[in-house]
Amino acid sequence: MSSSSVASPDVVSTGALSRRRSAGLDLLGSELTVLFRRRRTWAMLVAVALIPILLAVAVRLSSETLAPGEGPPFLDRVTQNGLFVAFTAMIVAIPLFLPLTIGVVAGDTIAGEAGLGTLRYLLVAPAGRVRLLLVKYAGVAVFCLAATLTLAVAGTLIGAALFPVGPVTLLSGDVISVPESLLRSALISLYVTVSLLGFAAIGLFISTLTDVPVGAMAATVVVSVVAQILDVLPQLSWLHPWLFSHYWLGFADLLRQPMDLGSFGDNALLQLGYIAVFGALAYGRFSTKDILS
Amino acid sequence: MSRNSVKWLPAIVVPVVIVAGVLAVPLQAGAVVDLPDKTPEQVLLMVSDSTVSAFSGTVEKTAALGLPDIDLGAGMSGPMAESEPDGTDSAPEAAGTAGLASVLELFTGSHTARVYIDGSDTDGPAKARVQIQDRMAERNVVSNGTDVWTYDSETNTASHLAIPADARATAEAKLAEMVASAPADLSTPSEVAERFLSEIDPSTTVSVGADGTVAGRTAYELVLTPKATQTLVESVSISVDSETGVPLQVTVRADGQEDPAFQVGFTAVDFSTPSADLFDFTPPADATVDEVTLPAKPEMAVDQAKPEIPAENLPVVTGTGWDAIVEVPAASVPAELSANPLMSELATEVDAGRVFSTALVNVFLADDGRIFAGSVPVELLQAAAAQ
Repeated sequence: MSSSSVASPDVVSTGALSRRRSAGLDLLGSELTVLFRRRRTWAMLVAVALIPILLAVAVRLSSETLAPGEGPPFLDRVTQNGLFVAFTAMIVAIPLFLPLTIGVVAGDTIAGEAGLGTLRYLLVAPAGRVRLLLVKYAGVAVFCLAATLTLAVAGTLIGAALFPVGPVTLLSGDVISVPESLLRSALISLYVTVSLLGFAAIGLFISTLTDVPVGAMAATVVVSVVAQILDVLPQLSWLHPWLFSHYWLGFADLLRQPMDLGSFGDNALLQLGYIAVFGALAYGRFSTKDILS
Repeated sequence: MSRNSVKWLPAIVVPVVIVAGVLAVPLQAGAVVDLPDKTPEQVLLMVSDSTVSAFSGTVEKTAALGLPDIDLGAGMSGPMAESEPDGTDSAPEAAGTAGLASVLELFTGSHTARVYIDGSDTDGPAKARVQIQDRMAERNVVSNGTDVWTYDSETNTASHLAIPADARATAEAKLAEMVASAPADLSTPSEVAERFLSEIDPSTTVSVGADGTVAGRTAYELVLTPKATQTLVESVSISVDSETGVPLQVTVRADGQEDPAFQVGFTAVDFSTPSADLFDFTPPADATVDEVTLPAKPEMAVDQAKPEIPAENLPVVTGTGWDAIVEVPAASVPAELSANPLMSELATEVDAGRVFSTALVNVFLADDGRIFAGSVPVELLQAAAAQ
């Protein structure tokens, strides 16, 4: 950090550094504890887990067999192979439900503390504003991962409980074994998590703008809906590769044989750009903000 | 500068850096290319001397022909899905529309496919696999020399064609026969290149364009420009890899249109031999498999079919080269073509008929049933019809 250029004794500077780092880790630890002790967080994770469960139960109870290609992708495969529940649930949840839960968590980050009047206390030294921002963002990122993993795990479990499980047919027509398909499920969760990080950064920025958490949450969710509407307008095709939601359904590339990692790289780069831009905006806003509550 | 405005600095610097990076990367990739000069003939020779027999890559096709960009996947599945419970009345019509739609699909929008080719085993057959990537779906064609498989993930259907053992031998014998019967001066690739250039010389100017990069590789660009002034085609350019001589991209430009009317080319290419198990295809257990058989004697079928069309019903070609016009007599126009709802939607009414217009080709459906087509303005087609 900045102490490296200062001619101070090594012992002091590394000591200060490790103290700072441990302060950051402590803050992250307490942030995660607060986040995952909240009843709201658990309610959202349970709601996320309900998506595949409802989907699987509905397919199980229905006597109607779907023609291939009918309904959301892979839904017709579910009755033959329960592992497809997780894939279908992921596709169903991405456009609205996952952005909704992440919008709630991201919109609450700064505005929630400000609304409760606890922001002041958090900013009492030694925690700086930058560090608080980073810790808050890390908390949202962990929630993204938790939400997608919940979806994948709940989908796999309910699928295995209600339907036969066997080798999975990929989009290319090749068949992979059950363990390999579980690995791909995990990779898909990771892909979706990465896809949502740029959106989470936008939510963090919006959260620094206001002291009303509900407003920040709603605005964040609206941004995701607007981006998805823009993504389907053919007149704006030049803009599409730049929208943070453009690769949200791109995880299908992980279900091809051989796996197509091209879109994963493009997606990661795009999300990094969003994180940099909105992270810088959030820093500009938050570090110059008058903290009154 | 106040403390607060310094803190806003990253919010300004970061977007500027990203925009600069986005602008600079393509410029940098395009600026450094300067290959030793070559004549068109030398570039053609490079293509024919190319020894690459195995490669894989991603191919992207974009078409901006001025056709309406129909969402074929969504548009087709709706009516087809509905027609199933009603009964069979609408099924044939839907199937016809789907057939036309799959042809149109090639000429609209953009598509991405992954291609794997392995012809490195000189004794064995060449193997190939093409994967057309759709949204949440994929269509595959796999050929391993003895079997051809297609698989469509959306409908979970596969089709299988076994290539008869003698078919390949027959094809090779025919090829050898054709080579033998060719004029003697075509025995070497350089003579073929020379001959090709002199053949197309009256209608086309061939030149080597600016060196560029395609799929991250330096490439020569062979540009064919029509000499005819009445044609809609502005130029056809073929990018040839400077190292291996493999054509990497074909671009067709239309007159008065900035974007290429049609472009197909690699966005990534790898000249190593693809993994062998890519060409072993077993259809998934739950897929519907159609067995396709080749007609026993394809040559006989062609011979028998020929006399059925009277000479006056054969299409007539007027003119040569780029501004040629094809006339199809009314008798040989399939009835379902004019009845097809998709067709009537795409064509617009003009004097004495309807016009199906694209950036590269115009088709004039005259009221008397004749069809005129050519890469020329509509007025010329109307004039040809009036004669």
